[in-house]
Amino acid sequence: MKGLEFWKHVSIGRYVEADTPVHRLTPAAKYLWLLALMLSASMSGSALVICISAILPLFFARLARVRILFLLRGFLPVLPFMGLAAVFQVLFSWPADRSTVLLDLGPVSLSAREAVAVVLMALRFVAIMSTIGLFTSVTSEGDTARGVEDIFAPLARVGFPARGFALMIAVAFRFIPIIAGEFESVVKAQAARGADFGAGARGPLRKARAYLPLIVPVTIRALERAEALAEAMEARCYGAGPATRYVDTTGGSADMVVRVAAILYALGIFIVPVLLAS
Amino acid sequence: MAIVSTDSLSYTYPGSLEPALSGVSLEIDEGDYIAIVGANGSGKSTFVRCLNGLLQPPAGAVSVAGADPSTPDGRTAARRVISLVFQSPPDQIVASVVEEDVAFGLENLGVPRPAMRDRVEAALVAVDLLEERTRSPRFLSAGQQQRLAVAGAIAMRPRVVAFDEATSMIDPMGRAAVLGLMDDLVAGGIAVIHVTHDMDEAARARRIAVLSEGHLVFLGSPAGLFASDRLDALRLARPRSYSAALALGLKPVIGEDAAALGHRAAAELKSAPEFRQSPTSTPVDTAPAFSLKAASMSYLAGTESERLAVDAVSLEVPAGSVVALVGRTGSGKSSLLQLLDGLALPDSGVALSLGVDTASRNVDLRAVRMRAPLAVQRPESAIFEAYAGDEVAFGPRNQGLSGQTLVDRVRAAMDAAGLPFDEFRDRQPRTLSGGMKRRLALASILSLDPDALLLDEPGSALDPASRAEILNLIHEYAGYCTVVAAGRVRTVVMSTHSMDEAAAADLVAVMKAGAVVAFGPPARVFGDNWDESWGLDRPFAYQLQAAMSTAVHEATFLSAAHSSAPAYVKAGGPA
Repeated sequence: MKGLEFWKHVSIGRYVEADTPVHRLTPAAKYLWLLALMLSASMSGSALVICISAILPLFFARLARVRILFLLRGFLPVLPFMGLAAVFQVLFSWPADRSTVLLDLGPVSLSAREAVAVVLMALRFVAIMSTIGLFTSVTSEGDTARGVEDIFAPLARVGFPARGFALMIAVAFRFIPIIAGEFESVVKAQAARGADFGAGARGPLRKARAYLPLIVPVTIRALERAEALAEAMEARCYGAGPATRYVDTTGGSADMVVRVAAILYALGIFIVPVLLAS
Repeated sequence: MAIVSTDSLSYTYPGSLEPALSGVSLEIDEGDYIAIVGANGSGKSTFVRCLNGLLQPPAGAVSVAGADPSTPDGRTAARRVISLVFQSPPDQIVASVVEEDVAFGLENLGVPRPAMRDRVEAALVAVDLLEERTRSPRFLSAGQQQRLAVAGAIAMRPRVVAFDEATSMIDPMGRAAVLGLMDDLVAGGIAVIHVTHDMDEAARARRIAVLSEGHLVFLGSPAGLFASDRLDALRLARPRSYSAALALGLKPVIGEDAAALGHRAAAELKSAPEFRQSPTSTPVDTAPAFSLKAASMSYLAGTESERLAVDAVSLEVPAGSVVALVGRTGSGKSSLLQLLDGLALPDSGVALSLGVDTASRNVDLRAVRMRAPLAVQRPESAIFEAYAGDEVAFGPRNQGLSGQTLVDRVRAAMDAAGLPFDEFRDRQPRTLSGGMKRRLALASILSLDPDALLLDEPGSALDPASRAEILNLIHEYAGYCTVVAAGRVRTVVMSTHSMDEAAAADLVAVMKAGAVVAFGPPARVFGDNWDESWGLDRPFAYQLQAAMSTAVHEATFLSAAHSSAPAYVKAGGPA
């Protein structure tokens, strides 16, 4: 369709149902690996660890039969920022950089240290984007919320509202298409009366001016919809007492092994380099 | 034995001066079937919300199976007894999978998992959604979503299920299914409270309660209510078969369908009933106002979730006609209206809006849209100005009007929509009733002085009187050319789920799966060309006519009946 189109019909996330060892993992195990890989890709200074955290999600993707190209496509939108960061790395030298100069173009030079920094940065991005991409490809909306509840389950014993927290995430998912739909109906109502939408308005200022008056009605409608949902939840005894869970996410012993492995991995990437260095 | 009872229940919303409910005393028995009717804003929803403590009633005013919902414990107890099904299908879905949503209430009650599985399955079987159990509710039709809400309610094994206008936003087939579920509940000994604007639906109940401005003004049998002469004052109407029987001079019978009434009429009436010709205005013979040539349109074109919304539709809307667009939910009515207005552009084919090709390169889409503005579904939800007058002035301001011309235009539009300018210009839209908000939304497109109106379900979710008023307004607008501005032709295209409303239009277009499968005068579409596979509800007058003509084979009667629909349905207004 051309003209005014919104994301109302877009499905959230990229979850595709499949029966693979990775899909079968409990949401808690998936979350632990997500955290472990994100941590190792973003916090570790070791080149080896960064390489491992870029390769591991691709290995898991094979197990999950998720196309690797599909994961890397998520990488495209951040490419311009990557390029910008790389340019800054090259333009501004590291203080006391005595590594070999690989390329010398007068005032700008690329040293070996700068080259390594650029490559590692790119690898970190690949690792993070493919980890997130893989997680959303193998975890359903419901599991995304339930996993949070499971991860925080130990805290729930001391009064942390783990179920409420998980439900908040589930409701946030639900509201993306709802808000998009409300936005769409307000835009359409105004466009039908001559407001500047999808009628070839040029210039960011004119566009911004057209969208500004939407904030109030869309916010009000979003609150009304939220209130309606809250009523429906309350009418179904939400918060009446200790709740049970329809979907079983306990997992078997194999799943427990995977969870422990994630924790060991996260600890290992920080401890092993220290041990090796000493 | 009363399971729900209220004792002079009053409720005033915080910050409001007027009470929404005053002194309502009512008893609902175990296994009862009661309908609650009344104008928009009469307190029906407030009443239902007081029963389960969504609104906090005064202490002692409400008793639900012995519990008082004004206390926290009583509230929980009341919610176990009364389940609620709300108006808007998508607004009551919590989970992202059908069966998990049914389980939501059971989770909250702390039901153990094996028992929960059994109850979820039984509830899904009861509403015939078992096959959809692992799907996302997003991909269900509105009617299916509402059945899902019913499943979530009955899984909790309530003793009362209250439906708050739960059939007002779904198509005729979905509505019939939900009404069937209500019968099942009553047959199973569960009491049903049905809040509705539809008198045919209300007539199905054993008892009817009428609320007016927060007061309980009637409580009794449907027969008692519809025989009353206070209906107009209460902004209510009579069921379709009831009005038809009266018009035929027969004794009305509550709950009688068209077939039964037709047989009775044929047997009891000595002389053939007098069918009047319906006043169809012949469309002026000019260039079409809208014209689609093999126009197709899909959402998310080029992605995996691509969905064809309009499928190679060719349609010519004669200038000066009123066209009703009917079809099941998701059949493409809204998308088609957007194509006519230029809010959506065809992916292939041509869409001409008042002679302008909307997809051509240098077309001014704003001008096209303002000549044939579209009122989206429930347009009042898109009202954004703080004052009614400003809301109506938004369009003409975009046309470049200002000063006295602007004021004159706004005044004319508001007066025409039945919201007198001097009285309503400085009113805040959110303080208006549902019917008045809808009028305001109409005024704010009438103020563009358009050549055509495109209306997406203009009468939905309104009480019978408001609905009739809005429809009168639309027909008045369309008939304006013949009275005042000679030479000025005005066209209306409106979608509707009410076939009785559609029968009053000049032309009817039936949509099915994105295609227009029938297009012509109502007498033809609803008469000889009628097709059950459209999944629609044939207008009552035509059902009656069909029933009578199968019962009577008198040549004189047949020739009269074939000419057109009986006019009394229009005279009586849509039920």
